[in-house]
Amino acid sequence: MIEFRNVSFSYPNSKDGCLKNINLTIPDGQCVLLCGRSGCGKTTLTRLINGLIPQFFTGEVTGEVLLNGENIFQLPMYRIAEKVGSVFQNPRTQFFNVDTDSEIAFGIENQALPHDELKARVKQTAEELHIQKLLGRNIFALSGGEKQKIAFASVYTMKPEIMLLDEPSSNLDMSAIVELQKHLKLIKSQGKTVIVAEHRLYYLMNVVDRILYLENGSITGDYSPKQFRALNSAKRCTMGLRTVDLCKERPLYFAAPHATPVLELRNVALSYEKKTVLHNISLQAGHGEVIAVVGHNGAGKTTFSRTLCGLHKECFGEYLWNGKTQKPKARMKRSYMVMQDVNYQLFAESVGAECTFGIKQPNIPLAEKTLSELGLAPYRNHHPNTLSGGQKQRLAAATSMVCGKELLLFDEPTSGLDYDSMVRLAALIQKLSGMGKVIFIVTHDYEFVCRTCTRILHFGGGQIQNDLSVTEENLPKIKSIFNVG
Amino acid sequence: MNTLQLDPRTKLFLILLCVLCAMFSPSLLFQFVLVALIGLLAVVSGKWKYALRGVAAYALICLFTTWCMGVMTGTWRTMFVAFLGLLHKVYACGMLAGIVISTTKVGEFLSAMARLHFPKKLTIPIAVMLRYLPTIREDWHFIKDAMRLRDVSPSLLGFLKAPAMTVNCIYVPLLTAASKAADELSIASVTRGIENPKPRTCLVEIRMRKTDWLAIVFFTAFLALELIWKVVG
Amino acid sequence: MNQQLTVKKGLAAKDLVSVGIFSALFLVFALVGGIFFAPNPVLTFYMPVGSALLCGPVYLLMLAKIQKRFVVSILGVILCIIWFVTGMHWAMALGYLVMGVVADLVAGIGKYKNKKINSLSYILISLGGTASYLVFFANPDGWAKTMLGNGTEQSYIDTMRSTGTVWIMVIMLVGTILAAAISALVGCKMLKKQFEKAGITK
Repeated sequence: MIEFRNVSFSYPNSKDGCLKNINLTIPDGQCVLLCGRSGCGKTTLTRLINGLIPQFFTGEVTGEVLLNGENIFQLPMYRIAEKVGSVFQNPRTQFFNVDTDSEIAFGIENQALPHDELKARVKQTAEELHIQKLLGRNIFALSGGEKQKIAFASVYTMKPEIMLLDEPSSNLDMSAIVELQKHLKLIKSQGKTVIVAEHRLYYLMNVVDRILYLENGSITGDYSPKQFRALNSAKRCTMGLRTVDLCKERPLYFAAPHATPVLELRNVALSYEKKTVLHNISLQAGHGEVIAVVGHNGAGKTTFSRTLCGLHKECFGEYLWNGKTQKPKARMKRSYMVMQDVNYQLFAESVGAECTFGIKQPNIPLAEKTLSELGLAPYRNHHPNTLSGGQKQRLAAATSMVCGKELLLFDEPTSGLDYDSMVRLAALIQKLSGMGKVIFIVTHDYEFVCRTCTRILHFGGGQIQNDLSVTEENLPKIKSIFNVG
Repeated sequence: MNTLQLDPRTKLFLILLCVLCAMFSPSLLFQFVLVALIGLLAVVSGKWKYALRGVAAYALICLFTTWCMGVMTGTWRTMFVAFLGLLHKVYACGMLAGIVISTTKVGEFLSAMARLHFPKKLTIPIAVMLRYLPTIREDWHFIKDAMRLRDVSPSLLGFLKAPAMTVNCIYVPLLTAASKAADELSIASVTRGIENPKPRTCLVEIRMRKTDWLAIVFFTAFLALELIWKVVG
Repeated sequence: MNQQLTVKKGLAAKDLVSVGIFSALFLVFALVGGIFFAPNPVLTFYMPVGSALLCGPVYLLMLAKIQKRFVVSILGVILCIIWFVTGMHWAMALGYLVMGVVADLVAGIGKYKNKKINSLSYILISLGGTASYLVFFANPDGWAKTMLGNGTEQSYIDTMRSTGTVWIMVIMLVGTILAAAISALVGCKMLKKQFEKAGITK
């Protein structure tokens, strides 16, 4: 049992993520969802349970958190680790080993279990989570979803009574989310206490027993799943929460009659390290089209997007812009990609400087106008790294607008975004589309696709499986591509 | 597909022996035999290509060295001799280090070092370093893409054209990512009990096997042979 | 119960992980800087200069992030082990080990917070790389002997002495100090302009 008694916490020099006077009891075996806007304090709450606060993150704490009657603040981290397992958001920075087997065993190795038991436990974990085919692999060669499974398995192997998951689905595709859901059901059936902090809610609706809504550091809602589902969507939107049922989502924009094509690919084939990844790609796209690029991991979405931007050179066939063949260099000049981890593409020391970074004769009024249109003007003198995830994305998009790029690509833009940021991003994409840009969005997020896209490009088996306009007739097919319904 | 698995302690000892061998090597021939021996080790560890490439490249370097000695004169010769001297010293050990690093698992290394009573304060940073090297490569690929999209060329020429900007573009994202990774990786390790004072165990069994002793005997014998050769010759 | 929590003394797991990550970056930058010189016979002696040129920002950010004793020493030990294991000359390994400890002590004078003293400590650790070359200059015959077998040619040693090896040594040392200083300067600027504003360091 976890008990919070009058707990308040604040980080030094930051108002975000503080907690105010929390009183909460989570009985054994309960599965709890923590939701709320970014910075509402849900991550902070998990950190108080796994001991990261106060032992890792310092700040001002009052009150006490009890784990089976013991005060957590008095326990050393490694003792807490035996009882509370934690899985985090970013699969790339969670592993300590290079090979999967050792990583799964990492926690129990630290507990100094005897060798035979280590082997037995790893085997048992692999069987129970159905990840035998991931054993004996190099972690660097795994996809994000597979890495996340290994992270989960590593904690699972330690058999903690409590499992904490902090935005575990952020970097996962649809099928990986389905498997995460299965794994959550499994640990729940084993009687473990499960606490999930998450923005994507739909996959948790038939798993959790209780939903806590946090707002500015206080718990302002404590719902059963039934009560939570009964909230109407308008109410949910004002709470800043994402959809609870994907089936109810419907596209907001239907495909307009075909605009004159500006981009054309003729019989393009792409290879990566001399192996063909995609072949026989022919498509046309017009100004203002917003195209979702979907497909499972390894289907070639990344190679495709890098080719569109001229970053990938192993490309055969014709790439035309306004009817003229384009060399990679020219493509690069014309296009911009907002990367999944946008941190890699922010270089300057302030938001204002970022907008004009690398441009020889920057158009300052345009930069200013763009910043204020995207709601970034108040942060002009802040460092880009101090912005939230959504703001960073908008900043990256702003730089592309200042450079006058005509083809834009977003790679998994909704990972880790809360509802408000997602809505803002959707609005931004509408605006860009209105400006006549050709936009591609690599995404798994059906809710987001419904809010932005007019066309779906589905890769599979080394080629384009489907190229569908978003229309009433195509809707069932689109839903099946996204595994919805 | 039964490949040789050596104990990490053996591997460390082999490296020590190899350094000594390279240091006391009486002639080029001995150096070459040493490299060939390491090539053999690579083959039994299942690294065919690595062995082949390593030995072949070294053979070329040896030929080049002999040619240099015979043909060149004067300052050029001095320079080349000094340079090749360095290269010959480094080559064998570098090749062995490559095998050791690519065949040793992080956990295996940590446990073996704990057995040798190495302090955790040293082994944890080394383990993390080895694990982080491939991440730097991944990061660099992302950063290169990001630079190109912003019309900054990630090459030497680009650096010469706009040094300050290129430096910024490389260091800022790389160090920001490193700093973030440091926090997240430490969180992921302390929440899995890395601070546990008990001596950690290991999934891979750490035990000196016959093959370990055999490898040690081989390399020691070679070192002895070198020393005898030196004294006699 | 109201407690203002303070940072634990001594190196915690978090600090060790950070040292590991920054050591990896340090190593990569040192190699990248060095590799430009190493395979070129004329320039090989200036490898420490190249290595010193690139690592400053990494070093200074590491110190800014973990302001604790032993951090630089651990970096020194790691570099020592890596150079030794990859078969670099033992003196280079030893040089980094010794200079790592010295640099740690020097940085400690400013409690690891003073950027100027940290820069000085960076220059010191960079000098660790020159050790193997110093040994070479101290005893060129020995080097040549192992190189050419027992039949060292007198002419080789003569040329070595006549080509002004002293100058090479002086250039190497002064160059390393200068390169390290420039690198540290860039690092300091970057800390101030970027990382402090970004909230990565205090």
